[in-house]
Amino acid sequence: MRETMLRALTQAYDNLLHMIGEFLPRFIVMVAIIIVGWLVALILKRITRSILRLTNLDRLGEEAGASGVLRKAALPSLTELVSRAVFWLVWLGFILIGISVLEISGMQEQISRIFGLLPQFLVALLILFIGLVAANFFSRAALLGAVNSGYPSPQVFSGAVRFVIWILAISMALEQIGLARETAIAAFSIVFGAVMLGLAIAFGLGGRDLARLTLEKYFGEKKKEKEDEPMPL
Amino acid sequence: MSVGEVDLLVGIATHNHAKTIGNLVRTIEECLVQSFPRERIVIVNADGGSRDDTQGILLRAAPPESKNARGLTSLRTMHRISTRYANAPSPGLALRTILASAELLRTKACAIVSPENSQPACGWVTSLLRPAFQDHFDFVAPLYTRNKFDGLLARNLLYPMSRAVFGQRIRELHSGEFGFSGRLASHCLSQTVWHEEVVRAWPEYWMAISAVSGGFRCCQSYLGVKGRTETSPDLVAAIRQTVGTLFWCLEKQSDFWMDRADSEIVPTFGPDHELAPTTSRVNRKKLLEMFRDGISGLEQILNSVLHAGTFAEIKRLAALNDGFDYPDDLWARTLYEFAASYHHGVLNHDHLIQALVPLYRGRIYSFLMQHQESSPEEMETGTEHLCMEMERQKPYLMELWKSNSEVKP
Repeated sequence: MRETMLRALTQAYDNLLHMIGEFLPRFIVMVAIIIVGWLVALILKRITRSILRLTNLDRLGEEAGASGVLRKAALPSLTELVSRAVFWLVWLGFILIGISVLEISGMQEQISRIFGLLPQFLVALLILFIGLVAANFFSRAALLGAVNSGYPSPQVFSGAVRFVIWILAISMALEQIGLARETAIAAFSIVFGAVMLGLAIAFGLGGRDLARLTLEKYFGEKKKEKEDEPMPL
Repeated sequence: MSVGEVDLLVGIATHNHAKTIGNLVRTIEECLVQSFPRERIVIVNADGGSRDDTQGILLRAAPPESKNARGLTSLRTMHRISTRYANAPSPGLALRTILASAELLRTKACAIVSPENSQPACGWVTSLLRPAFQDHFDFVAPLYTRNKFDGLLARNLLYPMSRAVFGQRIRELHSGEFGFSGRLASHCLSQTVWHEEVVRAWPEYWMAISAVSGGFRCCQSYLGVKGRTETSPDLVAAIRQTVGTLFWCLEKQSDFWMDRADSEIVPTFGPDHELAPTTSRVNRKKLLEMFRDGISGLEQILNSVLHAGTFAEIKRLAALNDGFDYPDDLWARTLYEFAASYHHGVLNHDHLIQALVPLYRGRIYSFLMQHQESSPEEMETGTEHLCMEMERQKPYLMELWKSNSEVKP
């Protein structure tokens, strides 16, 4: 009995040593690949940045209006953005290659799928970027309109516009990469519907006075409004 | 209709102005018969798709008595031409149509008259045409008598800034009524900016600044009392139109104004400025509230547009309990920093202009508090002080303009 237990333990220990012996070199290789990948990505990022600076990409972007869009979305310059994208794409590639060295069962297939998803992933990133720019633009337009018209809580109004556009962009991006497609659509429908219903109820019940004032402002007291502000021109 | 060549042209851009156009045309023609009995004259109507028979009413309006006050009969035929340039109104297209007519007819002097004013004084058209026709001025800006607190955007922003930057003391560069020579019409017609949104929406201001920056002879001519019209734009729309056009012109004409210092007095026919004693009712409390709400609501945007020191000073004013004075030097700095931010593309241009509205309200609140009991002369002194301050700070604008970075340090 004792001998059997000892044998089993010894065998388990041997197996563990064998596994570690097999896994450790692969893990070290993976770490080495990731570190080398980081260095390669960093070098490529710097090379890309230098080339783009030499080609005056920022100036071209400025003339085409792309730099303005990035600036308005609080993003770095076009050169910086492309350089960072190169860094992350290269490093992500090395990380995935490194993980594949571990030869974990099922992982290879997942990595192939991730590589297959890359084009959709890039499109999804583009959708998110456009969503970010649109959300910034329209929420700022809403904020300016609300402030200049003297509406109460302009920040809430602006935030709601930003939120709805963001939800829309995220849903579209998720649908693009096929990740939880049904869930994303359902979540968007529920969130959007809930927001609209909430706003309608809030406006109808909580904001009856505001609704009355708004309607009066547009249809009832136009002359008074004009008298309240001196004629600008 | 064959018109041949004419001496004088009066342009009217219309869109659903059936109520006023008949009286307007009769008044203009009676005035022209009295003032220019020997000249060949045409009235050109550019219509933007009216659905109320504006064009028909204009063409059918009864002609004036052909005898003038001295009993002399006009020797000339007065023509009326009405054309539809599009099915929707476009001020740029309307002006371009009128300019093209002026060039085609080899007109010596032209006047643009607003169709809003159904009964302009007879002298208005003469005052706009005569300096261009007889004294050979290329651009004739109008001058009006206004209610004391009307035209504050012009008094606090448009006039001081355009005077400081472009170097000509013309009060109403932004007016929709003005006179011009055939030479200026041809010059403007040959420009390649007619597709620009700003020029399509507010071409008069661009044309006036083109006259100033193009070295054309400019003058001012007093017209009379400027009344309120039903379609006067509200404050936000007025600022978007006029300040947007002014900043756009700064951008396009920077080569011209960068080299200029000080400002020149331009010849003026009639009184230089007139203020009617009546005052309109103004809700100062609302102005103050909207200024304060704007400062807090747009803090992030204003932070990206204004220099830190300038914005801190404005915030300090907004926090004061018992009203405040928005001083001329701070207002000049505010405007110049906005103009430079427009140039550097810190924000979408339209958003940037809209962000100026709360600050303008603060300035107007301060102006109204300061001039509640002021006489016209005192108000005029205040305006002159602001103009001088803007001229003094013009190097600051140039410095910001030339810097590669945005306004913020």
